[in-house]
Amino acid sequence: MDFQVTVFAQAEAARGVWPFLKENGLLLAPPVLSFVALGVLLPRARRSAPLWGVLLAVFALILGAAVLVRTETVFVETLLFYAFAGLALGAGGMMIAQRNPVHAALSFALVVLSTCGLFLLQAAPFLMAATIIVYAGAIVVTFLFVIMLAHQGGASSADQSTREPVLASVAGCVLLASLVILLHRTYDTTPLDQLGAELKKVGDARDEAEVIKLLGDPKQTEFGKFTRPIVEKLREQFSAEGQDEIREEIEAFQKAWNFMNVPRITQKARLLHEAVLAKRQQQGSLALNEVPGKSKTPGHSAPGKLPAQNVAALGRTVFTDYLVPVLLAAVLLLVATIGAIVIAGRRSEELR
Amino acid sequence: MSPATLQNYLLVGAALFALGMVGFLTRRNMILMFLSAEMMLQGVAVNLVAFAKYRGDLGGQALVLFILAVAACEAAIALALILMLYKRRKSLDISAWQELREPDQEPVVDTEPLAAGEAGIDFQHLTPAGAAPARKDAEEVSHV
Repeated sequence: MDFQVTVFAQAEAARGVWPFLKENGLLLAPPVLSFVALGVLLPRARRSAPLWGVLLAVFALILGAAVLVRTETVFVETLLFYAFAGLALGAGGMMIAQRNPVHAALSFALVVLSTCGLFLLQAAPFLMAATIIVYAGAIVVTFLFVIMLAHQGGASSADQSTREPVLASVAGCVLLASLVILLHRTYDTTPLDQLGAELKKVGDARDEAEVIKLLGDPKQTEFGKFTRPIVEKLREQFSAEGQDEIREEIEAFQKAWNFMNVPRITQKARLLHEAVLAKRQQQGSLALNEVPGKSKTPGHSAPGKLPAQNVAALGRTVFTDYLVPVLLAAVLLLVATIGAIVIAGRRSEELR
Repeated sequence: MSPATLQNYLLVGAALFALGMVGFLTRRNMILMFLSAEMMLQGVAVNLVAFAKYRGDLGGQALVLFILAVAACEAAIALALILMLYKRRKSLDISAWQELREPDQEPVVDTEPLAAGEAGIDFQHLTPAGAAPARKDAEEVSHV
């Protein structure tokens, strides 16, 4: 099987730090700013969190929404995504910056609830219900009990200070920034979008004058002056193995332009436009020639779409393809229950 | 679903994971450390669900179910362990267990330790409400 990982397939020339920063500065700004704010906001002994830290965190969140999130036209879904994602990240930051552990646990419940909203947006209603029941209903409440039992004497000094807030923030910043850049490299479709728009214009051209306006006149201009950028970009995009047909189409497009064969130019442009759209659709998937959604295991849904009956289909998947893991999970739950009873059930006198 | 939408969800997952990591590294309350680890799991779950939608494959959602099962087990065990540790030291502070450090490491010392009664916040107390119930005689109550 022909696996090609996009990120690592692009061999990158060694460059200095400054060109890298200049190119990716805008991408790096939200993670860096948010973790600066977090480093300031983490609790320290006898010092309250400054207001500018909160403002910086909010600014970093808004900047991240503006710079990193790329939205499509579906309006309600986009709005809900912004709401749930912002709530999840804000509550997550609040959770680790709270001094009162009870408030922190409640913030974690908020993180779980907004994550469940994201699940719902991603067509996973069963998981939403299960996560709310298991996390918000069971885990958080149980831990709230323990916190309240343990903190009967009032606030403890352990909650009023943190260990190495600056170093930990740097570590988190490095992790998030590298993930952001990696995701941007893998899923950034802007070059393909531009190419697709240009090809669409050429494909919709009606007469020779319009083609000349878009691509230039082969007789008057220097050879390949206008088509060359498009053709070069196309060759770069379709340079992988197994795409010989598309490469032939690119050469045919170039040749048609050289002879100013308008119907052939528009036909080839439309064909290449479709190829670009198809490539855009599978950007970032590991196997380059695989259509997203087409699963090789039988018993799965139609290609590219999740089935409408989520619970039924999920049950079918879990109890056919994942039968052995389900049984193992059941054993794990049993063992964990026994283990918890054994560990917690001991009398405190026996421990000493 | 387009790669751009997938990328948005992956970014949220990555941010949740990084936040959880920072929380785990810095906080000293054992329960908050555990909840931070759970937040990292939430980030992973967001990733898996987004990939399930993107590829039209329910395997991702099935994996999130397993994450839930493992998280429940982890919660049970962690709760038992934390309770046992709390019984021995009467504190949820992870720094109370510094003898578990590497033998050649210096122990971590608080630069500005807080005094016993000197905590920044007060916990809420319920306001007494209603009239106090009248006390009955012990004989009258003990009819069990």
